[in-house]
Amino acid sequence: MADEKFFAWLDGELTGADAAEVEARVAADPALRKLADEHRALAARLRSAFDPIAAEPVSLAAYAPAPASNVASLAGARVARDRPFTQRFWAQAAAVAVVFAMGVATGDRMLGGPAGPIAPEAGRLVAAASLKQALYSQLASQPADSGPRIGLTFRDNEGRICRTFTDQAAAGLVCREGGDWRVRAIFQAPEGQGGDYRMATGADPRLAALIDSTISGEPFDAAQERRARNSGWK
Amino acid sequence: MDQSEAFERDLAALLPRLRRFAYGLSRAPGDADDLTQMTVERALRSRDQWQPGTRLDSWLYRVMRNLWIDTLRARGRAEQREGTAEEAESVGHDPVPGIEAAIDLRRVMLAMDRLPDEQREVVALIMIEGFGYREAADMLGLPTGTVSSRLVRGRTALLALLGEA
Repeated sequence: MADEKFFAWLDGELTGADAAEVEARVAADPALRKLADEHRALAARLRSAFDPIAAEPVSLAAYAPAPASNVASLAGARVARDRPFTQRFWAQAAAVAVVFAMGVATGDRMLGGPAGPIAPEAGRLVAAASLKQALYSQLASQPADSGPRIGLTFRDNEGRICRTFTDQAAAGLVCREGGDWRVRAIFQAPEGQGGDYRMATGADPRLAALIDSTISGEPFDAAQERRARNSGWK
Repeated sequence: MDQSEAFERDLAALLPRLRRFAYGLSRAPGDADDLTQMTVERALRSRDQWQPGTRLDSWLYRVMRNLWIDTLRARGRAEQREGTAEEAESVGHDPVPGIEAAIDLRRVMLAMDRLPDEQREVVALIMIEGFGYREAADMLGLPTGTVSSRLVRGRTALLALLGEA
């Protein structure tokens, strides 16, 4: 029996007498039965490995180009697409008190010990476990239900990928450097706004000013953000 | 709902499956999302070429497959293979509940990467996407017998690479 016929039977492509003939031969031959089982398991494994991708919710908007009206170039389309988002983003002004910002290496004191979102490492502040996980995997378009929330992602004028985040106690900006997320700025929420409250992303005007002074181009859109994540934020 | 809205609605409904096919073809998350985006852009721009009454999914799969072939040609083989294994490390969009599945997806993608392109696309269409031999042959513009023999070679190689585990 040709291999093609055996596999066509296995895949349900044969009918009638053809199917019955292969079925009888497989039933009578332990080696063929074993081969059929192995290949059924392989097919099931391929499906179970790939099916979660098709189960992920994806929106057409994340993959569709910007409407071409009134813009003459792709770059123009990008700006047109990002502007309303950026405006909306900065418009979410909420009261945030600045505790301190930029390059201060006393992470433990600031954010509640080892469980806090940042930690000192070799004299520098870097993202700690829960924040690190969020920075590495979370997309702004698919925020998590709990824990840190990611806001904007962009490339700074030195080519590093930077992301803003908020969690219960603080908002900040980190940039990818040497495999770590280095803290560039962090702003603590006012007293009494902990608990379930998470600051509006990018709410602090000083964070906005910092981004304005370091950003190169426009913030990433959803597709760029996803691509950056998939290539390890390089 | 006008025809254009209906097209976009149907395209959106097929997007998760298309994205899965992109992963099967390209074996790298970054490439898969780029390929999905290119396919959506092409489909929206060329929607007049799709004939209502025919299967939209087959048309979209064909668009994606042709764009992938173009991409491979444009890149050349050497560059195309570079980095795939490393990128596959970052598969795992859902690190908490899906970690086992993500690890196995990585293994399966690495094995898929070893197949010749013409076997991989047949394996992806039939074994992952669930198309029949005839449907896959129509999409690829090949005789059914060719599809059938490529599928035998592809799945035999995959079984050897992945073992029984």
